[in-house]
Order: sequence, then structure tokens, then C-alpha cells
Amino acid sequence: MGEVRGCSIPEDLLYSLENNVWARLEGEEVTVGMTSYACTLAGQIVSYTPKKPGKDVKKDKSCATVESSKWVGPVKAPVAGEVVAVNEAVAAKPGLINEDPYGRGWLVRIKPSDWGADSAELITGGAALAAFEAKMEAEGFTGC
Amino acid sequence: MDPDSEERMSHRDPRRWRLLDTGLRRAAENLALDRALLAAHQEGIGPHTLRFLRFEPCALLGYHQSAAQELNLDYVRAQGITIQRRITGGGAIYFAPEHLGWELLLDKRALGTADLATIARRICEAAAEGMRALGVNAAFRAPNEIAVAGRKLSGTGGAFDGDSILYQGTLLVDLDIEPMLHTLRLPADTHDDQAGKSLRQRLTSLRELLGVAPPLAEIRARLAQALAGAFDAALEPAAALLPRELALYRQALAEMDCEQWVSLRDRPRTEAPVRQACHRCSSGTLRAAVLLDLPARRLKQVWLNGDFPVTPPRLLADLEAVLRNLPLQQLEQAVESFFAAHEAGLVPTPGDCTAVVCKAVDGEQVPG
Repeated sequence: MGEVRGCSIPEDLLYSLENNVWARLEGEEVTVGMTSYACTLAGQIVSYTPKKPGKDVKKDKSCATVESSKWVGPVKAPVAGEVVAVNEAVAAKPGLINEDPYGRGWLVRIKPSDWGADSAELITGGAALAAFEAKMEAEGFTGC
Repeated sequence: MDPDSEERMSHRDPRRWRLLDTGLRRAAENLALDRALLAAHQEGIGPHTLRFLRFEPCALLGYHQSAAQELNLDYVRAQGITIQRRITGGGAIYFAPEHLGWELLLDKRALGTADLATIARRICEAAAEGMRALGVNAAFRAPNEIAVAGRKLSGTGGAFDGDSILYQGTLLVDLDIEPMLHTLRLPADTHDDQAGKSLRQRLTSLRELLGVAPPLAEIRARLAQALAGAFDAALEPAAALLPRELALYRQALAEMDCEQWVSLRDRPRTEAPVRQACHRCSSGTLRAAVLLDLPARRLKQVWLNGDFPVTPPRLLADLEAVLRNLPLQQLEQAVESFFAAHEAGLVPTPGDCTAVVCKAVDGEQVPG
């Protein structure tokens, strides 16, 4: 299990470093969520508004909006495509995102429009761990 | 991020801020400007900015709120008060022309941190210093308010987009309690005479504290000096927006100046009841009224009152600030942590406070 400065960064997932989100290809759909690093920066999440199923999302544009302690901001899609599912459990209990960001706290499922091209920019494994370490260093982050 | 944006951002001097005063406007215009300025900043085009703004009378919802749950719609409509929705989080507020809005557009590089709680605290502390320069004993109150002797003078909230942040606050220069009392749903029976008194105890204004409201120009100058000073920035006044900001503003206004945006979230009032209860402490009776988010099992707002002296007098008001929007499952821990971090007398105890809030959650429904 990968870990960087106390933040879980599973090595088997794909990551958009700039957007601080993870992606997991499951058949023809991609499940997307916030990394534990993003969750720590945000704090306790109290509200979640995903794009509705059927909506198209662009790569690096919002696929969901979250709120924590009066901060509101977008979670950006790592790949372009159509939203096919949102997480009703998270809608009922947004804190699940903090509790289990890589499992029960997933945000949206997307059917990608060009997985081959978009996924080429995602990082994984040891490269992801190194990249997150550099990002945390640059942002002055001391740890999860 | 595209390479051009990256380059623009790296050349944006963290110590040079634009100073913008967009004056008195309709709510939709002010909030469309928020969205446009944040978007332009995230593109690397908009400069770091300190903006002052004022609103024609309006009720502003936090991004995730529903008008039916947060406002008394009959009163709002009868008074012709505009309802709008912010891009920032937090609770519903009533904004009148005598209140001053202030906001910063910066990025995490300029702030030296990506941690949102730290960013909020630093900005609030700087703003509080500006208010102290006006002659009031303002201080940051966790998690994100500015208060004087436990009474709120400025509320704040933020939005982020990538590395860019917009952080905004209100400043109660003067305060007419009546429209606020009747516009906003509060943890109280607003038909009760005590509700106005309770609200007055929790809020204050520069005019109340100083006897007279300072001129707006002086308030802006003190706040600007303190905010810029806290981040070693120099301010450059600007009279106009950049072309890209104007284009984004027109697009944002078209999207936000409509019922669809205001009704983005439309959950029923029945899911957000007001309930109350009492709890007997060793020194007297503690009362709690709570405005609840039932489906989310969350406290939206809590008002606590005791019929006995509390040490320090601001203790319960400070605890109320911590309990805002708190998930119920975190109540006991939050109260324990609060008391561990604050000097307090023997009564009420953490257990008293937790008990009265729990009782109120399952307590008597307050009409309205």
C-alpha cells in the first residue's frame, strides 16, 4: 500500500496529480474520487453535488462540487466522458469521502470518450508516489 | 493545466495586488463577478485582487443551501428582498447596503500553503487586524469568523478552483436587526420577543461598538492596509476589469441571474426543523435550540443560553461557532475538544453542553 507523508496513495490506482484525484478503470467505466491528500487539505466534507448522470464532463473540468467548512470547490474529472453514476451513499453522508476516499467515498463513474488519449497523462505506482511527494513539498504540506 | 496558464501564473507577482471597488450592486451582479474573477484568476489572467463590494438588500444562500430551508419566503417576497446563491460555502446571510463586503483572490503559491483551514485563519486574522485599526477589539474566532467579545462582526467563506482561491467576508458597519431577524431562519421562534434579543446578543456592528459608523473610505483603507500588509503586498488601484474578466462576467451573469441558479438546491423546509430542549445543570438551566439538517444528520445552527452566569461570558457563543454545520456524530468530540482548548468555569460542563444539544435534536419542534 503506497503512502506519502502519512497519506494513503494506493499504487494500483491512476492519478491526475494536478487535480488531486484518482481514477480506476472498471470495464468500460472509470470510477473517480478525491485522494486522501485532497481530503486532508479540504477538511471534513459536508456537502457533495455531482454532475447528473447523462451529463458530459470535460477533462480537467468539474465532475462534482464539494464543500468543507465554508469552502466550496470543484473536483475535476481526470478524463472526459459521460457521467453514468453518482454515489447516493456519499450524497446522504458526505463525510464518507474523508472516511474512505478510495472505497465507499467515490464521487462519480464516467464512461470515457477517449480513454486512450486521456489516460496517457495519468500516473501510477512508484511514479505517482514520487510525484505526490514533490507536490506536497512544493505546497509546504507536512502530512496527513 | 495548459503550459500558457502555467507560465502566466508563475509570472504573477504574489506581492502585487489589484485593488478593486465595485461599489453598490444587485446581488446577481456581485456574485457573477465572484465567479468571473475566480475563473480568470484560475486561468492565470486575472491578477491577485482585493475587492470591496456592497449589495442592494438581499438574502444570499451558501452554495449548497435551499431557500425554503434557510429563509422565511413570505417575508422575503413581501419586502421585495432579492434571493441569490453564492459560489462560496457557509450559511445564509442578509446583506444590506450599510454592510461592507471584502474579498481576496489569491493562489496557494502566494499564500504559501494549500491547506484551506490555514488559509482561512490567516486571512481572518489579517482582516481582524484591519478592524482593530478602526478601534474595535476584533479577533479571529475559529473556524472562520471575526468577533468582538464573542459577538460576530464579520462572517467569512471561500471558494477554490485549482490553485486559485476566493475568500470573502462581510463587515457589519451598521446593523438593523429587524430585516435580518425576519429574513433568516434561525434556531428560535421568531414570533417570540426573545428571538430579537438573542440575535442582538450574537451580532454587533462598528456603529454599536464605536457609537458612530466610520466613513466607508476609512474602513476600506484600514482593511486594505491590514490585508495587504499581512502578505507583504502592494496595492494598485484599478477602475476596470480586464477584457477576459468582463467576458466571463457576462457569461456568469446570464447563468446566475435566473431562477434556475437560485433554485439549484431546493430541499423542503420539513427536512430542516427547529427544535429545542432544556437541561438542568448544577447551577441552573441550559437551553438549546437547533436548526437541523435531518437527512444529513447535521447541526446547521445551534443557540445555547443559560439562566446562570457563564465564565467567560462569551463561552457559549464561541461554542456555537464550532458547532455550525457539524455532523451529529462528531458532537461529543467537538465539545470535548472545545473545552480542552478554552478556559472555562465549572458550569456548564462539556457533558451539559452535549446533553442539551442531544436533547434538542430530539426535542420539541419550534413553529416556523
